[in-house]
Amino acid sequence: MSRAKPDLGREGLDRFVDAAPQPQRSGLRLLVALERRPRGRRMLGRAQAVDQLANGLLAMGHYEDPANALALGWDADAVAARGRALRREEGRP
Amino acid sequence: MSRRREPRVIEADVCVIGAGAGGAVTAAELAEGGASVVVLEQGPRHDADRFSARPLDMLARLYRDGGQTTTLGTPPILLPLGRGLGGTTLVNSGTCFRTPPAVLERWQREFGLEALTDDALDPCFARVEAALSISEVTPELAGRNAAVARRGAEALGWSHGFLRRNARGCVGSGVCAFGCPTSAKQHVGITYVPRAEAAGAQVISGADVRHVLVERGVARGVEARLASGGRLEVRAPTVIVACGTIHTPLLLARSGLGRASGELGRNLALHPATGAFALMDEVVDMAKGVPQSFYVDEFASEGIMFEGVAGPPSYVAMSLPLSGTRHAAAMASYRNLAMFGLMVSDRSRGSVRALAGRPVIRYELVEEDVVRFRRGLRRMEELFRAAGAREVYLGLPGGVSPERAPARDLKLMAFHPLGTARADARAEHGVVDGDLQLHGAQGVYVADGSVVPSSLGVNPQLTIMALATRLAYGLLGRAVPRTHEEAHVLSD
Repeated sequence: MSRAKPDLGREGLDRFVDAAPQPQRSGLRLLVALERRPRGRRMLGRAQAVDQLANGLLAMGHYEDPANALALGWDADAVAARGRALRREEGRP
Repeated sequence: MSRRREPRVIEADVCVIGAGAGGAVTAAELAEGGASVVVLEQGPRHDADRFSARPLDMLARLYRDGGQTTTLGTPPILLPLGRGLGGTTLVNSGTCFRTPPAVLERWQREFGLEALTDDALDPCFARVEAALSISEVTPELAGRNAAVARRGAEALGWSHGFLRRNARGCVGSGVCAFGCPTSAKQHVGITYVPRAEAAGAQVISGADVRHVLVERGVARGVEARLASGGRLEVRAPTVIVACGTIHTPLLLARSGLGRASGELGRNLALHPATGAFALMDEVVDMAKGVPQSFYVDEFASEGIMFEGVAGPPSYVAMSLPLSGTRHAAAMASYRNLAMFGLMVSDRSRGSVRALAGRPVIRYELVEEDVVRFRRGLRRMEELFRAAGAREVYLGLPGGVSPERAPARDLKLMAFHPLGTARADARAEHGVVDGDLQLHGAQGVYVADGSVVPSSLGVNPQLTIMALATRLAYGLLGRAVPRTHEEAHVLSD
């Protein structure tokens, strides 16, 4: 039986929002929840600054996902692996 | 009936609170100079093996509040702060500038800091520069994002150059702000902290210092809570507070210290900054190379500095000043996007105080600084256009031109909080004196950005480290050696 792949983008965004101090955390959770729904998105669209923030948050999660980032030329796993290899080879901390 | 457990007690010559730019440097220099040193760091030790090069993941792990500390005021400003061994040096861009001579002259004139001359600080700077392997970024390592800005600056005849950074063996991973995966960035967590430990210092992470203990005006030590449970008391005749500009005033205030002048927690300068993007014909791949590798200082005398900034797609997705289909279209062209930052040497001043144990940071951008942003944004657009940009996205809402941008429309971040326990030779105007000792409390010193009494106009980590070096040698009663080798001879 195959196990579902973790959604690193969604997990990353949730961890990021959880790390925010209150009262921002509650505000960000609400924004993310609204932005994930078509009706919520339409509502946010009426206030440009809030819309940009909500849009940016969700997009941040989207492009944190390795597959989506890779399509834009960014391979985080390869960057991290190269770092680990260099540190081992050269005895870096 | 339960009895409160007695704290664990450690005795030392010096207790350093915080292992960032100021604390780690003083700890290493003092320990190597023969002092017994205990370092208490609130955050954890970070393992570079777990650095994932994914911004969201690393923001949550390496930053206080996930990098979402924000000021109250117009506009609100995001103020990301590092947390853990290395402090903010763990997550900064690594840019190193000496304190500009004009700033030192101002400190002498306005704050009575007469000993802080360019000549007197030269050995301190040289010592830090050697310890951190500071050198200029090469054009190859700077990458194509820097090449875009360079092309624009050259076309316009604007003064520019490659930045000096504390990096060794850098391969341009592009994620300095999210944990350097190659440990090329020589942050103090992998340079000064190991030196301190090798010289016998005890470095305790997860130690939240609650009070600095002072009796009859003389330092006695500190009390801390440990993340692992229990309490710790360090008895030491010298205490160096280095919790950073936001948290140092909070610790001093709850310890009943540093309040006589009324300046504690005030005079907060931030170097507010914003970014702009350009859509280029060429592939830029901005995250391939050193994100902050190039500067344009043509307008430094006006308090406006341009410095490189770049990041992986998820970082750019959050920073792009667009929404909806325009945002999606710009992201689809990520590989052709260039980005650059604009930083203002601020006249605005803010404050920090505690509310329910957390910092409340207030900061209102004054009109003079708003004008600097307006000018800076317009010039940023000129820079990108001169480099051949097809489109430029400034950090403003759609339809707002830089000339008409009110403060509330600016999308700002800040990376250099300074000044909340400012140094001033006169006790009635400052929190610490020219030797960084708290006015009115013998043996309590401050060694972080909070003592820096004015905006610098440049990145402050080298200034903080040089002042920390000077403090350490002052406490050892020795002149700062001119070279690293000379220092070892002295300590043998």
